[in-house]
Amino acid sequence: MYSIIVENLTKKFGHFTAVNNISFSIKKGEIFGFLGANGAGKTTAMKMMCGLLLPTSGTAKIGGYDLATQSKAIKKNIGYMSQRFSLYDDLTVYENMQLFGTIYKIERNTLKQRIQDSLQELSMNDFANELVRSLPLGWKQRLAFATALLHRPQIVFLDEPTSGVDPIVRREFWELIYKTAATGVTIFVTTHYMDEAEYCERISIMSEGELKLIGTPNELKAKMEVQSIDDLFVKFVNR
Amino acid sequence: MRAFLSILQKEFIHIGRDRVSLFLVLAMPVALILLFGFTISTEIRNARISILDQSKDTESNHLIENIIASGYFQIVSFLDNEAEIDHDFKNKQIKIAMIIPPRFEESLEQEHIANIQIINDVSDINIASILNNYLRTVFNDYINEYNQINNGFETPISIVTTMLYNSELNSVYMFVPGIITLIMIIITALMSSITLAREKETNTMNMMLITTVKKINIAIGKVIPYMLLSLLSTIFILIISVFVFQMPIKGSIGLLLFLCIIFMFTSASFGLLISAVSKNQLDAMMVTMMGLFLPTVLLSGFLFPLDNMPLFFQWLADIFPAKWFIIAIKDVMLKGANFMEIGKYLLILTGMSVVMVWFSLSQIDKR
Repeated sequence: MYSIIVENLTKKFGHFTAVNNISFSIKKGEIFGFLGANGAGKTTAMKMMCGLLLPTSGTAKIGGYDLATQSKAIKKNIGYMSQRFSLYDDLTVYENMQLFGTIYKIERNTLKQRIQDSLQELSMNDFANELVRSLPLGWKQRLAFATALLHRPQIVFLDEPTSGVDPIVRREFWELIYKTAATGVTIFVTTHYMDEAEYCERISIMSEGELKLIGTPNELKAKMEVQSIDDLFVKFVNR
Repeated sequence: MRAFLSILQKEFIHIGRDRVSLFLVLAMPVALILLFGFTISTEIRNARISILDQSKDTESNHLIENIIASGYFQIVSFLDNEAEIDHDFKNKQIKIAMIIPPRFEESLEQEHIANIQIINDVSDINIASILNNYLRTVFNDYINEYNQINNGFETPISIVTTMLYNSELNSVYMFVPGIITLIMIIITALMSSITLAREKETNTMNMMLITTVKKINIAIGKVIPYMLLSLLSTIFILIISVFVFQMPIKGSIGLLLFLCIIFMFTSASFGLLISAVSKNQLDAMMVTMMGLFLPTVLLSGFLFPLDNMPLFFQWLADIFPAKWFIIAIKDVMLKGANFMEIGKYLLILTGMSVVMVWFSLSQIDKR
């Protein structure tokens, strides 16, 4: 059962090919690491899969829905959290969650319950009425993640979710990711931290718009004869 | 609908929590109108004038008495020669000077000709032209009075004005439409486009776009609170102009508000257009300043009369909505124009909005 199937996806901006003919499939509940140097085309690929950008050519099925014709159904079934923190700073924790929950048309009482549960899980009950601005970055990231899950999406796209936070917070964040994946949610995550790549079930490496490698971290290390994903990445990007 | 309302609510929260901006937005129009209103009206009431009376006869004395009695002028000095005029302009801060030529009474009685010369300080063209008009009025009244008492002849009046001036009658009233225009543009177009650009910068825009909410709803939700705010400001301005400056509103208030609402939509469309073409807040600021604010100040007839501009600029002024709005609002407030009379301008403003909204939406929909 695949929740993401990408076939020959391509995006050109004028003469520049940002994403060149990439294909891959991701199983339901899988944690998939999407690696690549800056400018390799990761964000562009992700934006296409989320429906923020139209592909120049190629197709994809996201959560079983066709990218070209069922974008509304896709939007209902995906969550997104970006590398730059993307909740509203001048709204409170509760207001942010309520805003996004309402936008997804979650029924009033259900939403209330879900917000309560999320805050409970994040141990942020006491901070519900604090402005998001006043929270430490690590908390904001976890809050953004919880908000992206409010409408119970099948797939969550995480665009460098842990950039800029300390190692302990990163570990906590990954615990959240694992918990979420265990409930059957597919996690599609980009990262620059190679230790995080080791946490993923499968990873892929993008370079110059092309998908160069795909497989489990151990497979890839064995195949490329390197000790760590770090070495793998450096070896690959330098070539 | 619930989703849209929650977006709207969020925008109101943004505005409400940004106390400094909110205060500026509400206080700025009040400050502007009081500033413009009072500086101009006090200068007009006590304009400093020097008079060179080369006749020193009964009639020239009468004229001078009339000038004092008018209440608009404060006589600084009576001069002995023309060289002193320049001195007074430089050292005594007079705004205007008048020369009554020799044989004033004689030429009035025998030749039925009345001559005076007015010298203006045109460094402030608006004040100069207002004072010039006042002095003309006083002079005309005086001549009419003289004619009634003495002979019943029509006396040809000759006033020589040494500087070219703005022939349009300017007064504090003229600033009200201009300020309303600026406020509408600043609040509706600039503020909404800046906050939209801020969302692009902070990435909350992507967060919104990824949800099921329609783009048009995001844009409309953004603009509505600012439209209401600008309407509130406009009403403030009107109240102050009527009650503090006794400005007449000759046309119907309903029509005036309708006109303002139409222009509010035009400004909002401009805001949408700016947001569509700008990537960040700086872009939005620059585009608004260069593309909207400067043309509005310079090319709307608000500060500088359009008639005196080269044809190219007059033509350029036509494509900015501010010019049409200012003409229409002046017509309603000062001339009492009715719906049919300003219909043309309403149509132009609406047409401009439609074009801008259409273009912006086509841009926003690009993915």
